[in-house]
This record gives sequence, C-alpha cells and structure tokens, in this order.
Amino acid sequence: MDWLEQELAQALARKEPAAGFDGRVRARMHPRPQWLAIAATLLVMMGGGEAWRQYHQYQGYLAKEQVMTAMRIAGSKLNRVQMQLKGTEQ
Amino acid sequence: MIGLTAARQALDFGELMREHRAMVFSVAWHFLHDRDLAEETAQDVFLSLHTHLADIETPAHAGFWLRKVAVQRSIDAARKRSRRPQVALEDVAEPSVRPASGDPMLGGMLRRLIATLPEMPRMAMILRYQEDLDPAEIAETMGIPLGTVKSHIQRSLALLREKLERRGVGER
Repeated sequence: MDWLEQELAQALARKEPAAGFDGRVRARMHPRPQWLAIAATLLVMMGGGEAWRQYHQYQGYLAKEQVMTAMRIAGSKLNRVQMQLKGTEQ
Repeated sequence: MIGLTAARQALDFGELMREHRAMVFSVAWHFLHDRDLAEETAQDVFLSLHTHLADIETPAHAGFWLRKVAVQRSIDAARKRSRRPQVALEDVAEPSVRPASGDPMLGGMLRRLIATLPEMPRMAMILRYQEDLDPAEIAETMGIPLGTVKSHIQRSLALLREKLERRGVGER
C-alpha cells in the first residue's frame, strides 16, 4: 500500500451510525398498532349502521301509516256510496 | 416453544445488527455522502435481513449477505435520489492549508473526492479501502467482472492522485 492507499483506508474507516440505531430499526420492525384510531373507526361504522337501520324502520312505519290512511279513506267512501245506493233502491 | 424460537431469533438478529451495523452504515454513508439517507438505507438493509433471517445459515453468511445487500441498496438509493444534485468536483473546496498525511482535513477531502466518482468505481473503491476486500471479492459482491473491478480501482487511484497533486497534496 502506498501513501494514498493508506490515507484512503483511514478516510474510509468504518463509522458507527448515530446512537439508538438498533432501536430505530426495531421500531420499524414492529410498528405500534393504532388501536384508538381503529376503535374509533369501528364505533363510527357501528353507530352509522344503527342510525341507517332506524331510518329505514321509520320510513317503513311512515309508508305503512300512509297505506292505512288511504285504506280508511277508501273504506269510508265505499260506505257512503253503498248508503247512497241503498237509498236509491228504496 | 414458538415464543422461545422467536426470542432466540430476536437475540441472534440483535447480535448481527451490533456486529455489522458499522459496516452497513459506512458503505451507505461513504457511497451516498448523506448521513440521513445512509441511516435510512442501513435500516432498510437490516429490515430486509430480519425478513430473510431464516435463509441465513452462518454468521459469516450474514456478513457476506449484508454487505451485498448494502451495496445494492446504496446504489438503488443513489439512483432514486438522482433528482438531487450529486457532489461535483468543482464543489470540493480547495484547502487554504495543504493537508498533511493523517490530517482529518485530508480525510474529508478524500471522502468528498470519492463522492465525485461514478457509481461503480466509487463502490469498488469503498469496498477496497473501507472493507479491505481484494478485487475478486469485490467482483463477487458487486456482481461485475474481475477485470472491470481492477480497471475501476486503477483509474480511480490515478484520478485521485491527479486531483490531489493539483491541490498541492502529495507524498511527503
């Protein structure tokens, strides 16, 4: 080895990475699960599902009420027509 | 049983990391000339080792494997960074005082001059003088012909001598 090669060997000697390197590698190996975010997402999804179910239930109830009202009106009109027919026959 | 195996594997991985982190980090640092990128690259190399730990047969195999992966990952990182400007020879400042042999200033100048070399000669020089590998080992690690390695080293040394002489640094 001549002087330049010796200088190169010194200049390119191995160096340790900054302190805590092993910990930083391990942190990337086992990233912490974000439990809070996961739980919050699940709660929102469950709450949203329940609200959606109740909304549909209410819509069904309203539709049923409308049908019943329509049947009651139709029934009373039918009664009136029957009464009128009976009066005409007599 | 599974827990014991996992603990043993973790212990072995820790030992491998302690033994080889300076080698892996230094290959990346000398090649990339960027401490943060070198740290990230070295971390990637060890994460890859952790994934492939079952394939590693002996501590010597681990050393060889880590060096090879460190070389490849460093080259990949340099190519990804190509948007950022590389160190140009003009950027290597002229010393106000002629650095002497063993002078840290000369060491810094040599590292900056190495950083100006093209990719393959730069890596060959790092493996030759950081890792003290012979040209055949360098050829095997880099996956290039032996003649190419010898040529890279000879030309790089001649270029460095010329640049240093121009800066008034030579054999004393």
